[in-house]
Amino acid sequence: MISYAFKWSSHNLFGKPFDALLSIIVLPGTLWLIYSILHWAISVAQWDIIPLSMRVLMIGIFPADQAWRAWTAAGIIAALLGAALGCVFSFRIHHAFFLALLLAALLTVGVGLQVSALTTLVAAVLACAWLLTSYVPLARHVLLPAAFTGFISVFAVMAPPGVGLWGGLLLSVLLTLVTAILSLPIGILLAFGRRSRFSSVRLICTGYIEIMRSLPLILVVYWIWILMPVLATGWSLADVARGMIGFTIFYSAYVAEYVRSGLQAVPRGQTEAARSLGMSEFDINRSIVLPQALRVVVPPLVGNVLDIFNAAPLVFIIGLTDFLRAGQMILANPQYGDRTYEVYSYLLLTYFLVGSMITYAARKLEAHMAIGSR
Amino acid sequence: MIINETNAAPGSVGCDQVRSRRFRKRLRHDAIQFAIIALVVALIGLLGYAVKEGLAQKGIKFSFAFLSNAAGFDISEGKTFSLSDGIFPAFEAFTSDRSNGAAFIAGIFNTLKVAVLAIILSTVLGTLLGVGRLSTNWVVRNLSFWIVEFVRNTPLLIQLVFWYFAVVLHFPPLAAAAKWYGGVIISQQGLYFPALSWSGDGSGISIALVSATWVAIVGFIVDPVKGMRRVCVVAIVALVGVLFASGFLSINYPVASKFQASGGTSLSPEMAALLLAIVVNSASYIAEIVRGAIDALPKGQWEAAGSLGLSRRNTINDIVLPQVFRVVLPSFGNQYIGLTKNTALGIAIGYPDLFNVYGTVANQTGHSLEGIVIVMVSYLLLSWIISAIVSWANSRLNQMGASR
Repeated sequence: MISYAFKWSSHNLFGKPFDALLSIIVLPGTLWLIYSILHWAISVAQWDIIPLSMRVLMIGIFPADQAWRAWTAAGIIAALLGAALGCVFSFRIHHAFFLALLLAALLTVGVGLQVSALTTLVAAVLACAWLLTSYVPLARHVLLPAAFTGFISVFAVMAPPGVGLWGGLLLSVLLTLVTAILSLPIGILLAFGRRSRFSSVRLICTGYIEIMRSLPLILVVYWIWILMPVLATGWSLADVARGMIGFTIFYSAYVAEYVRSGLQAVPRGQTEAARSLGMSEFDINRSIVLPQALRVVVPPLVGNVLDIFNAAPLVFIIGLTDFLRAGQMILANPQYGDRTYEVYSYLLLTYFLVGSMITYAARKLEAHMAIGSR
Repeated sequence: MIINETNAAPGSVGCDQVRSRRFRKRLRHDAIQFAIIALVVALIGLLGYAVKEGLAQKGIKFSFAFLSNAAGFDISEGKTFSLSDGIFPAFEAFTSDRSNGAAFIAGIFNTLKVAVLAIILSTVLGTLLGVGRLSTNWVVRNLSFWIVEFVRNTPLLIQLVFWYFAVVLHFPPLAAAAKWYGGVIISQQGLYFPALSWSGDGSGISIALVSATWVAIVGFIVDPVKGMRRVCVVAIVALVGVLFASGFLSINYPVASKFQASGGTSLSPEMAALLLAIVVNSASYIAEIVRGAIDALPKGQWEAAGSLGLSRRNTINDIVLPQVFRVVLPSFGNQYIGLTKNTALGIAIGYPDLFNVYGTVANQTGHSLEGIVIVMVSYLLLSWIISAIVSWANSRLNQMGASR
C-alpha cells in the first residue's frame, strides 16, 4: 500500500524536476485551502439558516398556504425531466444509486417530515417517468403531447395566486423552461431566414441576430421591460411575462446560430436528392434538412439551456425575486447576523449541482449522437 | 437578359417561353422582396408611432437635446472629456455640473477600463489554466479542472456578488491594510498600486525623450521585421532608463493613512470585484478554448519535439503554444466580446459602467429611449472594434507564420 502510494506520487507529483517544483509550491496551498474550507464548513459555519429559509429560497414570496401548487409544478417538471431522460438513456441500476444519493443530499438540507416526504415523492415521480419511457415504447410516442399538456398544466397550477408572486428557484426554472421552449421555433425561423432566397429576409435576420449577439442580455431584458408599457399603453403585462419575452428575444438569436451551424452540417446532396425527387422547398426543409440539422445541434442546445439557467439571476434588474434575490433577502434580515458565506456558498453549490448535471447530460448526448451517426 | 438575347440561337424552339418564364419568376421574386421590405418598414413605422404616442402621453419628446443639460448627479469614478477650457478637450474626473453627454462618456470610459484590463488578465490566467489542465502534475491538473468546471457551471452574477460582498468587502480596513513589498495596499476601501508619475517640465528635451519612447513602443508592436522589434526593445529599455535617471519619470508609491490612501493608482472595491469576477470567469472559458486547441494539435508535433530532446516546458512554449494561438484567436475574440458585454453586470454592485450611467440618466431625465439608442450604438461599436482588432492580430500572426 505504502509502496503503491510512493510509486503513484513519484509518478504523478514528482515525475520531473519542474513537476516536483510545482508540487512543492501548489500542494501546501491546495491542502491549506481544502483544510480551511472544510474546517469552516464543518465547525464554523452555521447552516441552520438554510433549512429555516428554505421556503423563501425555493419559492420566494409565493404564499405559504399555496405551496402545494409549487410542489405540484415541481412534480410535473420532474416527470417531464424523467421522461426526457428515459428517451435518451435507459434506466440502469447506477442511475438509481445516483438518484438516491441526490435525494439523500436534498433531504439533509430539508427539515420536517412533510418536506422530506414530498421531496421523496417528487424524486419517485422522476424515477417512474424515467422507467416508463425507458421500457414502454408507447410512452415515447405520447411524450410530445404529454410534454405540451404538462407545461400548460404547470402554468395552470401556478398562475391563480398571481404571476407576480413567482420567485425563488422555481422562478429560475420556469423562466429557463419558457425561454428554452419559445426560443427554439423563433430561432429555427431566424436560421432559415438567414439563408433565405430573398436578400431582404437575409438582411433582416442577419441584422437581428448580430445586433442581439453584441448586446448584453441585461440590457435587452431591461429595455423590453421599460418599452412594453410605452408600446402598449393600458395593456399591463406582468413583470415575469415581460422578463420572459426579453429572454426569449435575446436567446432566439443564439439558438438561431446553433441551428444555422446544424443546417450547414447537412450535406448538400441531401437537398439535391430531395429536389430531384420533386419535393417542394418547404417539404425539403421540413422533412429532410431540419430533422438532420436538429439532431446535430441537440448537445449545444442543451448547453444553451444551461446558459439560460445561469443567466436567470439577471431578472433582478426588473425587480423579480429569483434565487439570488431570495438569498439576498434572507441576508438582509438582521435577526440572523452575518451569514454571507453560508448563503452564497449554498447558492453557488446548488447552481453548480444543477449546472454540472446539465453539462454532463450534454456531454453524454454528444457521445450518444456520435454513435447514432456512425 | 443581354446574355439571353445574344446567346439565343435564332429560331430556337421555346426561347420565348423560357424567357417569359424567367421574367415571370423574377417579377414574382421582386414582388415578394418588395412586399417584405414594405412590411418591415410599416412595422418599424408602427412601432415608432406607438412609442411616440406612448411617450407623448407621458409628456416626453424624442430629442437628444438632454445630452447637453447639466447632469446633476455624481459618478463615483470615471473620467470624461470637457471642452470648457482651451481647444484640446481636457480629460478629467466627472463632476455633477457636467452634462449628461459627459456622463455617458464617463460610463463608456469605465466600461472600457474594466474590459481592457480584464481582456489582458483573463488571457494570461486562462492560458495558464488551459495548460494546467494538461499538466503531467496530478494536483495542478485536477485543481485547474475543478476551478474551470465550478466557474463554468455557476452564474457569473452570483460569482460577482460573491466576490463583492464576501471577498472584497471582507478585506481588512485601510487602517490595518495588508501592505506588500513594493507598496501594494489591499483594503476594503480599494486596492492601491504604485504608479509611474510624470514630473517633466515640458521642456524640449523631455518631450523629445517621451515621443521617442512612444515611437519605440509603437514600433515594437507593429513593425513587421523581427530584427527591428529587437532594436525597439533595446531602445525602450534605454529610453526609460534615461527618463528615470533624469528624474522626468518616477514611481509613485501609495501611502496609507488611517482613513484614506494617497498616491499611486487605485481600484475602487466595486471595480476590483467586477474585475476579479470577470477575469476568473472568462479565464475559465479561455482555458477550455486553449485546452481544446491543444488537444486538437496533431500528436506528431509532441512526438517530434520529444524526439528532438526538447523538454515538456520547451515543447509547450516553443512548439505548442505558438501554433495554438494561431488557431484560438477567433474564439478568443468571441470571448472578449462576451467579456465586454458582461461588464454590464456591474450595476448589481453599483459599478458606474455605461449601463449604470444610462439607468441614472434615464431616471433623471425620462429620456430612456434616446439612451437606448446611445447605449446600443456604443455596445455595437465596442463589439466591432474588438472583432476588428482580433482579426487584425489574426491576419498578422498568420502572415508571420507563413513567412517564417
